[in-house]
Amino acid sequence: MILQLNHLQRKPAANTTQEVVDVLYSLLEEGRIEQEQFARLHVQLDWIQYRQNFRECVMAIMATSDRPEQFPPLDVHVDTRQVTPGCLREAILRTLPNTGDSPHSDPEGVLLEDFRSFRESIAWGFNRLYWHRLADWEQFTGRGYEQALPGGKSDANHPSAVADCVADFWTLLRDLENRKQLPEELFVMEIGVGMGTRSGLWLERFRSLDRERGTNYYPRLKFLLGDYSLATLERSRPAVKEHLDLCSFVVLDALNPLKNLAFLRHKILHIHLTNVYDNLPDEEFERRDGRFYAVQVRAHIPAADAQRISKELEIPAQQIPQTVNRLLEGGPDYLSDRRRGVAFWQEVWKAMRLEERLVSLDDLPDVAIPGDFRASQLEEVLGEAPSDVRFHLSSGALESFHNTLPLLHPRGFLQVQDIFVTNFNEYRLGFHGPGKLDGSIVNWVNGVLLREVGERAGYDVHFAPFHYRKGSKTSILYTTQRE
Amino acid sequence: MTLPILPTTVVGSYSMPGWLERLKTEYYARRISRRDLDEIHDTAVKAAIKDQEVAGLDIITDGELRRDNMIDYFAERLPGVQIDHASKKFHYDFYDSKVLGKLPMAPLGLVDDYKFLRVNTERETKFCVTGPHSLSKRIRNEHYPTEEEFAMDLARVMNPELKAIANAGAHFIQIDEPNYSGFPEDLAWGVKALNALVEGVDAKIGVHICYGNRYGKPSWEGSYRYLLPGILDAKVHQLTLEFARRGGEDLEVFRELPARFELGVGVIDVKTQAIETPDQVAERIRKALGVIPADRLFVLPDCGCLHLPRDVAFAKLSAMVEGTRLVRKEL
Repeated sequence: MILQLNHLQRKPAANTTQEVVDVLYSLLEEGRIEQEQFARLHVQLDWIQYRQNFRECVMAIMATSDRPEQFPPLDVHVDTRQVTPGCLREAILRTLPNTGDSPHSDPEGVLLEDFRSFRESIAWGFNRLYWHRLADWEQFTGRGYEQALPGGKSDANHPSAVADCVADFWTLLRDLENRKQLPEELFVMEIGVGMGTRSGLWLERFRSLDRERGTNYYPRLKFLLGDYSLATLERSRPAVKEHLDLCSFVVLDALNPLKNLAFLRHKILHIHLTNVYDNLPDEEFERRDGRFYAVQVRAHIPAADAQRISKELEIPAQQIPQTVNRLLEGGPDYLSDRRRGVAFWQEVWKAMRLEERLVSLDDLPDVAIPGDFRASQLEEVLGEAPSDVRFHLSSGALESFHNTLPLLHPRGFLQVQDIFVTNFNEYRLGFHGPGKLDGSIVNWVNGVLLREVGERAGYDVHFAPFHYRKGSKTSILYTTQRE
Repeated sequence: MTLPILPTTVVGSYSMPGWLERLKTEYYARRISRRDLDEIHDTAVKAAIKDQEVAGLDIITDGELRRDNMIDYFAERLPGVQIDHASKKFHYDFYDSKVLGKLPMAPLGLVDDYKFLRVNTERETKFCVTGPHSLSKRIRNEHYPTEEEFAMDLARVMNPELKAIANAGAHFIQIDEPNYSGFPEDLAWGVKALNALVEGVDAKIGVHICYGNRYGKPSWEGSYRYLLPGILDAKVHQLTLEFARRGGEDLEVFRELPARFELGVGVIDVKTQAIETPDQVAERIRKALGVIPADRLFVLPDCGCLHLPRDVAFAKLSAMVEGTRLVRKEL
């Protein structure tokens, strides 16, 4: 057995370690874990989670059995922050049978889907609903989504960060002008505009800098605000009301901005995104004992929660999956009374858990990776990663990145403020999602893979800590032209 | 050179297969030998030649598949250029290369590449060489007082090689100078170096000038207006330019191109995988015919097909050939 201790919650982890080991030994002696399985067991402490997340405090994750002669690998992850003394044995026992090909171990619970890639999970349906019906969600929670962010506001709107970005952009324009290569129209785009606050700040700052330096670039700006929700775009208008003549509001799919904006290929001088990539569909993979596994998930509502929701909202437990599907198709009004609909939505979301299993990949090249990224490249990248590692593919972010870069003018640059893993070793040091951020999903983004995709597309990708707010976990990804 | 009206060809490179990229990188990781890599290159070049023939092109290149990129293949052969072999991780990256002293004269070994192309196709051929301006912009100059002097010396060293290629039977040699567009202020001395490079070379000489195709994206934007009148001093027979991606606006710039120049017109956008239809190609050629007569017009993609997947490159070239046939029937 390999016991991995992460230096995260030192005291709770230290206190729990002995108990975890004792429990696993006793399960071995009782024959609940086979000797061979025990020998290959990986136990991870501390598998700390976002406070709001999809996982139980103890999770046993087994691979599907593809080699009948062998016991499949088994991982046990423990979030010590949530563990209460004496509960471990029960928690491990509860999750142990709930693995591999075995049926759901919580027969009273409500399954919302079959096992699948996280990217295909119903969880993303909830995420979509949240952004499309944000106003309904906020009305019933009584707080705006930015208040749900760590620190209660978005790093996107930090005035110094915006000022630095504007200064970089102005310098680029000046340089292009000096080289007689300044285009007539100066396209800038913000993807994922939120309330439009950052766009407003950026435009304001750019106008003053332009006036201060007398360069007269401002009137040539074409500022695009892009979002996949029309409702969000509408909400962003007041924030840029001083600059509406320069602004265009574009409904676009963050996964493929090029689809709507192909006419701007190689024309946009600056593109900015904040906390978009961490909210794009993703999936995880694991390399274990030299083999690759896809992590599959299955969404369910635990029995106790299902009963409570059923009772409070007068919906029979067996009808919850059907009601969830209708909710995701038609929004909260489906439940006749919007208040009841939102209540159901919020309760199901809060209770939703994802079981996990590992599915062996016969061959890494079978993995479809967005961004013209080849499996052979992934193998190369993993050459420098720890031998056993579970990592995000960040397929949504890769797709978005790959489909955004062609919009950049040859001298243009992209900036992304988000939470990035910039080195595979970081996966050993801490937890990186997914979690629930209010009604949406938040997930760390695999910056190593983005860097690879960027390099192959002709951009060097750099990550800098967001130094404008102390303690921020945000980094800034920025591109420079690769020679 | 016996060619139909509106001859079709590639700019130089053909699609670089993923497996070849991987094998090149394996070579740099010392996992396969030079001998194996040479064999692999031979096989890949033969396949590229065959694809161009099947697509129906009139003039064939070797697809430049032996080359890592447009600089290093020459930098490695130029005597006196020092290369940090540890400076690249992926074959397409540029080496960190520099000159510390005057370049000595020595053969570059490009003639064998031409001969290989010659024996593997019955069709007309074109051989492509990166020009001195572009080389001088990438190889770090730590010896010559100016970039111009460095470029002129590059031309001096490379000129005998071009003569040898022509003597080996090459009828058509193309010089690639995409960096003109990035540094329009260099045009005068860039053309001077180009002329020194091709001085006394007994072949049709073309010069290809685009806005860059590094990693399949443009490196600069602007207008070809900067080329005039400076480029008219170039002792070349053909200008090969990109017009498909940039639209036809730039074409107008060449309406008064003197009759001694042919124009190679880019009608295929190599920076997108969308495959043009023959009708689109035909329309682009017709537009070009409004500017330059048919007997001085060559039909090409905007730039090399290096970054396109093979099936896409093949389909684009096939559409180009078909579109050209449509227009030929109208002439």
